[in-house]
Amino acid sequence: MASTDRFDAIVIGSGISGGWAAKELTEKGLRVLMLDRGFMVEHGEGYTYDGKPAYEVPARNIMPKPLEESDYFIAKHGYVAPSNQAFYNNDRLNPYAYDESSKFYWIRPAAVGGKSLIWGRWCFRWSPDDFEANKREGIGGDWPIRYDDLAPWYGYVEKYAGVSGSRENLPYLPDSEFQPPMPMNVAEKWMKQRLETEFPGRKLIHARLSNMTEDKPEQNRTKCQFRNQCRNGCSFGAYFSTQAVTLPAARATGRLTLRSDAVVTGLDYDPGTRRVTGVRFIDAKTGQAEAVSARLVFLCASAMASTQILMNSRAPGSGRSHFDSSGTLGRYVMDHILRVEISGDIPGMEEYIEYGRRPGGVYVPRFRNIGKDDGVGFRRGYGYQGSAHREPAEPVGFGASMKQGMRRYGGWKFSFGAFGECLPYEDNHVSLHPDKVDRFGVPLMRFNVTFRDNELRMMADAREEGEKMLRKAGLQNVKSEEKEHVPGDAIHEMGGARMGTDPRASVLNRWSQAHDAANLFVTDGAQMASISCVNPSLTFMALTARAADHAVRGLREGMI
Amino acid sequence: MIGRRTALAGMVAMFGTQLFAPIARAAGVFPAGPVPVISQGAPSIQVFTPSQHALMTALSERIIPTTDTPGAIAAGVPAYIEKLLADWAAPDDRKPIVAGLDAIEARSLRDYKLPASRATPEQQDALLTLAMNKEIPHGEDFFEAFRQLVIVGYYTSEIGITQECEYLPVPGEYNGAFPYSQVNKVYSA
Repeated sequence: MASTDRFDAIVIGSGISGGWAAKELTEKGLRVLMLDRGFMVEHGEGYTYDGKPAYEVPARNIMPKPLEESDYFIAKHGYVAPSNQAFYNNDRLNPYAYDESSKFYWIRPAAVGGKSLIWGRWCFRWSPDDFEANKREGIGGDWPIRYDDLAPWYGYVEKYAGVSGSRENLPYLPDSEFQPPMPMNVAEKWMKQRLETEFPGRKLIHARLSNMTEDKPEQNRTKCQFRNQCRNGCSFGAYFSTQAVTLPAARATGRLTLRSDAVVTGLDYDPGTRRVTGVRFIDAKTGQAEAVSARLVFLCASAMASTQILMNSRAPGSGRSHFDSSGTLGRYVMDHILRVEISGDIPGMEEYIEYGRRPGGVYVPRFRNIGKDDGVGFRRGYGYQGSAHREPAEPVGFGASMKQGMRRYGGWKFSFGAFGECLPYEDNHVSLHPDKVDRFGVPLMRFNVTFRDNELRMMADAREEGEKMLRKAGLQNVKSEEKEHVPGDAIHEMGGARMGTDPRASVLNRWSQAHDAANLFVTDGAQMASISCVNPSLTFMALTARAADHAVRGLREGMI
Repeated sequence: MIGRRTALAGMVAMFGTQLFAPIARAAGVFPAGPVPVISQGAPSIQVFTPSQHALMTALSERIIPTTDTPGAIAAGVPAYIEKLLADWAAPDDRKPIVAGLDAIEARSLRDYKLPASRATPEQQDALLTLAMNKEIPHGEDFFEAFRQLVIVGYYTSEIGITQECEYLPVPGEYNGAFPYSQVNKVYSA
């Protein structure tokens, strides 16, 4: 690996994928430069509002409406609050474009650690069928890998990151290497029994979460303290984040250089050798443009940002990216469809309540189109995430009696919401804006992504089945609502640089490696050829660790 | 302190990078400027006249009075409401509050020949009840919005969180079948 470069590898992005790339590559002996456009947040000391009650947070931790409308009009769809505002992208300063007929919420982070500081933390392995359905149904492109290729890497990242959950032996939801699950409460146990009795084959199981139920002293991490304030940053390191998990590991090698405020704008490319020859970036604090090179580049900037960087890597005067010989770059963009919520009252059990605030809850795994076509008018399926709680009683009237009444809790309520798979459509695409650029000179991302019949039918079914399940389980006052479905809203946007076997129809090969550049790996959500209906981050971790292993072997064997 | 020039030179040496000219700030329709910080000082505008302010303060205490724990005034709710309506809420959110206060004032002058802020607590309760029951112009809009402001301001205050509720910042464990008989107050975080 003789080179005059200061670094053996450059990792672009420090979120869930970038953090894993930095950890794996440094631990395998490489000198790594990690670039992130966000500002530096150190574990613990950077979590300004961790553990603070509302009266110590600006505006009592309720986002001021004028600020939301002026600066966080997209982030507001992604749970931004004054306590974590700094972790979110400013939508005014970093715009993007879409046509009114195809609205897209691109919810982005603004700090080192990326979305690992603000993610939902649900962790699921994909099933074997998730990797096979495209081929069987002739939809999108076939995955060049199967579940068995990824299974050992799932186990590898799970053991290190810490995933709590229960073993269920479900063929369509493989178990992880679990820490013990967070307990169900008494109302959820009742729900489980009722629902599984009334609907044979359907299950209600423990959440699978990156919130730990056992300490990891070797990583200086403490198990979850049941505060449910994950999104302020957790000084206990109880959930997986770059700051708590992968950054300390990479730093411990002495081979990591982390540069924050480094906005990567594009990659330089030598068509002769078919290699990435440099990474161009702008220091967000000074406005200086710089470039740096290394033998290996891991692009982990997030699905859409990585796609944007790839698209903006093109020869002067050329409209086409160096990495788009297939013509598929920017296509097959997907996101989970959600915003169907069903709720109801669970009768009785008022002698019990929860002590502690548990992040997460329960999960109803996919039951539609498993192993056969159910004839329900759509392909693939959806799962539900939910929980049961007792909330403080509603105010009645005013005065001393209202105040006294609000010292009591109401009855148990259960609610859950559906997450559905979106099919890969070639014309769900992103492109670079022809004439608008951002403050760093990068053409704006322009989204043209919509949900189609298959997704909308799926949500209609999820609403109907959800209501049916809660009613038959014995809940009262069952209500459902379906809000506007906007791609990006699930913050599970994926695709844009999909994996595939054929270089003429995909951007990346089975190792997350660019067909057009052997020293370029894209290991975040951009690579996904389909999206399952389960949360994706665990799969990004596994794919990243697998790609890093392959890349370092390739370097040692002189193949990269 | 290291100056910017020194820091930059250091970066160049460290990274061995090429330096290009600084980019021009992108021209476009998007206003530039720094990320605003949430204002936490005095209200930037005066939302209430002195008499409206006095009435708003008195009514907040009638919504959440002092009982075995302090009430809205001790918890700083009036100042919270004024700040919220000045700087943290939408301008339209002020309208039902101000209109309701004026309607209550008019009704007090008619019924009690007194400014409402100087009416007795019983009279103020009667006025609030009229608003709650839509028997005052704009009454219902005022009552729902104002009660919500008082509730949010109170239960997010230090008194609300640490005295009215049982403050439980670090539960440390989770029990999904905890006996409700052992719970005296609502937990707060």
